[in-house]
Amino acid sequence: MIKSSAQVVIIGGGIMGAAIAYNLARKHCREVVLVEKNYLTSGATGRCGAGIRQQWGTEMNCLLSQKSVKIFENLPEELDYPAVLIAFKQKGYLFLIYTGTEMELFKRNVALQNRLGIPSRLVSPREAKDLVNHLNTEKLLGGAYCPSDGHANPFHVTQAYAKAAKRLGVNVFTNTGVTGILKDRGRVAGVATERGVIKCETVVNCAGGHAGIIAAMAGISLPVYPERRQVMVSEPVDRIQDPMVISLTHHLYIQQQPHGPFIMGMGDPNEPRSFNIKSGWRFVVETARAVCTVLPPLKDLRIVRQWAGLYDMSPDAQPVLGESPEVKGFYTAAGFSGHGFMIAPYTAKLMAQSVLGEKPEMDIAMLNYHRFASGELVLEPAVV
Amino acid sequence: MRIEKHPILEFQKGAKIKFLFDGRELEGYAGEPVAAALHAAGVRVLSHSHSHNRPRGFWCAIGHCSSCNMRVNGVPNIRVCIEPLAEGMVVETQKGRGRLDV
Repeated sequence: MIKSSAQVVIIGGGIMGAAIAYNLARKHCREVVLVEKNYLTSGATGRCGAGIRQQWGTEMNCLLSQKSVKIFENLPEELDYPAVLIAFKQKGYLFLIYTGTEMELFKRNVALQNRLGIPSRLVSPREAKDLVNHLNTEKLLGGAYCPSDGHANPFHVTQAYAKAAKRLGVNVFTNTGVTGILKDRGRVAGVATERGVIKCETVVNCAGGHAGIIAAMAGISLPVYPERRQVMVSEPVDRIQDPMVISLTHHLYIQQQPHGPFIMGMGDPNEPRSFNIKSGWRFVVETARAVCTVLPPLKDLRIVRQWAGLYDMSPDAQPVLGESPEVKGFYTAAGFSGHGFMIAPYTAKLMAQSVLGEKPEMDIAMLNYHRFASGELVLEPAVV
Repeated sequence: MRIEKHPILEFQKGAKIKFLFDGRELEGYAGEPVAAALHAAGVRVLSHSHSHNRPRGFWCAIGHCSSCNMRVNGVPNIRVCIEPLAEGMVVETQKGRGRLDV
């Protein structure tokens, strides 16, 4: 039976919803309910490339990821969950630089990152090849490398947060779609679900690519839209690659997981806005071609599986965080634009503080969505 | 063991040829799956699981399950259930996941 009332209802059972639920419960917020249309990690979290990097081009993205890495480092202890399953590995991220424009961008980004204490650096093609022996350095001008970037297991990280949240009393309802947001005199009054109404004065919208639909249920126009990204994975082979290799020129990232398979994703600049998460053969052909250009020995790999998921894009590729000025009690944590998993631990902490009426320990006011009305956007340039 | 007579299927065998399995000379028929020749020769363990090193045998037989990944002519991760046998082939039990030729 679903709860008839709660203090906070979180919509969405991905990493963000689970981590916010945990952080709220840890701060003694009573009666936190999480509702999820399908199952935990059924959306973007469970379909993501699992990378965790701090090499961003805006201060907010840098800070959120930097602080999240610190949390990831101690997550097994904090959530009492096996480190071998969370599988947080800091093997670095190597950005490939092919053009003068990219070189200028990465010089600026690295300067920003270093100012904030992120240990990234520009590397020569030679040094890049030392980091990734099977890299094709033809036409390569250099790279940007950060050794403390890495990856983790999104399924287990979400489960770890959800289990810790449940131990602290959070109720999680999966297979429970939201059908409406109830309002009373300009503020949230409840959440209607497929299994009944939950009365509440606070809602946190963590619905990823579907966040715009949830916001619309409350009469809010949220500038977050879904955009498909496709991924494929190979058979496992002996480990030869430590850093995630990523190229803005190719819209490509290539990572080798701890147990051996390569995960490869490539964005299509012409991908339309839609909820489409179908996989296509064209992606496999085009991505394989790009992968073989950048890392030629991977030509011998066999692809065993492909899938797709939704980025929840925001107009400046930075998240939308905070309370709606139009509907009191309606909070949003969405628009993560492909880097929600990696910034979730710290973002969730800030969101919990914000939801409970505290001043967040880092000022995130500029990430609320009024910023889009003013039109003065700081665009995150380093998105694949 | 081979099925010599089948009520529906007819087996058209290639020429009898020799190949090497972990240094042993075995016989099979050209063009049949490597795994079929190994099975006929009594070889039941084709690979080992990565985490626990448990023996793995012939399983899906259609190239999907990776239970029969072996090194063939020095190339790792060959699915011998769908790999045609040829004269002089060198088939080896694979240690580990297989290394890409970097």
